[in-house]
Amino acid sequence: MLDGLKDIIRKSSIHVCLVNTGGCNGCDIEVVALLSPRYDLEQYGIYVHNNPREADVILVTGAMAEQWRDKLQRIYAKTPEPKVVVTIGNCPLTGDVFNQEGCSVYAPVSDFIPVDAEVSGCPPRPTEILAALLAVGPDAIAARGRQKL
Amino acid sequence: MILPIGPVHPSLKEPLRLKLKTRGEKVLSAEIDYGYIHRGIERVMQGKTWQKGIFLSERVCGICSYIHTQTFAETFEKIAGEHAPIRAQYLRVLTNELDRIQSHLLANSTYFKAMEHETLFMYMLALREPVMDAIELLTGNRVNMGWNVVGGVKMDVKQVHMDSIMAIMVKLESEYGRYVEMFEQGPLVGLRSKDVGKMTRDEAIKARAVGPIGRASGLEHDIRQIHHTYRDNFDWKVVWRDEGDNFARTMNRFDEIWESISLIKQVINNLPPGDVRKKIDIPAGTAEWRNEAPRGEVTYSIETNGNLIKNISIRTPSIMNIDACAKYMLNDVATVADAVATYATSDPCIACTERVTILDESGKYLDFHGVHNIKSKLKG
Repeated sequence: MLDGLKDIIRKSSIHVCLVNTGGCNGCDIEVVALLSPRYDLEQYGIYVHNNPREADVILVTGAMAEQWRDKLQRIYAKTPEPKVVVTIGNCPLTGDVFNQEGCSVYAPVSDFIPVDAEVSGCPPRPTEILAALLAVGPDAIAARGRQKL
Repeated sequence: MILPIGPVHPSLKEPLRLKLKTRGEKVLSAEIDYGYIHRGIERVMQGKTWQKGIFLSERVCGICSYIHTQTFAETFEKIAGEHAPIRAQYLRVLTNELDRIQSHLLANSTYFKAMEHETLFMYMLALREPVMDAIELLTGNRVNMGWNVVGGVKMDVKQVHMDSIMAIMVKLESEYGRYVEMFEQGPLVGLRSKDVGKMTRDEAIKARAVGPIGRASGLEHDIRQIHHTYRDNFDWKVVWRDEGDNFARTMNRFDEIWESISLIKQVINNLPPGDVRKKIDIPAGTAEWRNEAPRGEVTYSIETNGNLIKNISIRTPSIMNIDACAKYMLNDVATVADAVATYATSDPCIACTERVTILDESGKYLDFHGVHNIKSKLKG
């Protein structure tokens, strides 16, 4: 019963940490647009918090600049279990236009930390980000919590 | 005591490390670490054709992505010694001003979030969404538009699109004044904003502040005054104030949106007929071109051999504004919360600024504290 109760609570209280690892900012402002009354992220119980120590979901944007190669793993380690990683945009997938000769990016992000969901697009529409978050977030966090306990 | 904020922190949207030197709650001075999202765009652009470079220039910054492609294209047009067709110039003004409106609304919403006024934050984002719709209607995408090419713009527009954008602008104009008044007349937001983070005109000149940040400190400088399209065809004025505090910077952005709405209406009412794109033969040469981005003056200087980009240098406004914020605005701020709000009001766009990383001989990354603090003894 306790598990069931925890599942319900966890599903409606998701804290999100947004980490830009070297993108153009476009995906970040689409996440900010998600907060707007039109998309209203908070009606699903999702709160963009930007604090890795309290987060359930890490949203990664950007193509892994040099400075993030060790820092991203540290942020991942600081985030408490259960956690979900969602990458937004083409940059964390392939490096997008930055991944050419002479660049200083080290995409993909999945080389560094395990990734649960990937949203492609440059940048993806806010609705797509929202759909991915809702598809992977609540249930995975509830299920992982059960495994852990 | 030195209080580090960032690179990932609840108050910051983008990675940057802010080191505040505090005594009690009072902030004495501040220092900034850059270099978290350096991607090497200028190096990647070298040896590419403009057709590839224009997409890279768009991704220098996501918020003001439009103006970078326009400046890139106009630099090549200057090398060729030609201008785009007049209809394309008008459409560029239209897109630029739409982009300025959404960027200013986003900047102000970030400031309201930083000073914990959630209601105005939500109102600003609600106002911004119809403008994003207008951008999408015009160019086909919300953020990275891919709308400019050397010699014009990619697509022509239909009258039905112009009518929809006009309807959006009329609606925005009728609703918008209410929110400006809410900020201007509100006693509590006034207390949090007035006389906080002051920068005088002399300090703004020393710090090379540009855009709304410089204009709020009394620098009556807007590069649109000498841009040929704006100078010859449109009736508008430079918005500036002389208080130089957080209130002035926010109000300056609010007032510039009125000018942008007026410019968009002028474009839609007087859109000339003709082509939107012409073929331009690019010779070898070097040129520099400046434009007014939402955050201030952006400069491109490009050297080309007629086909490939040999050398490119991009100077974005945020680097000067963030330096001005660290050096002059964050001096003797009363509380840490005010310091964060002051930082937010300088409209920092970190993705723009990352042009350089500094290495030592062994290839290890060193911290870069900004131009003003390069010899600083303050270590966090």
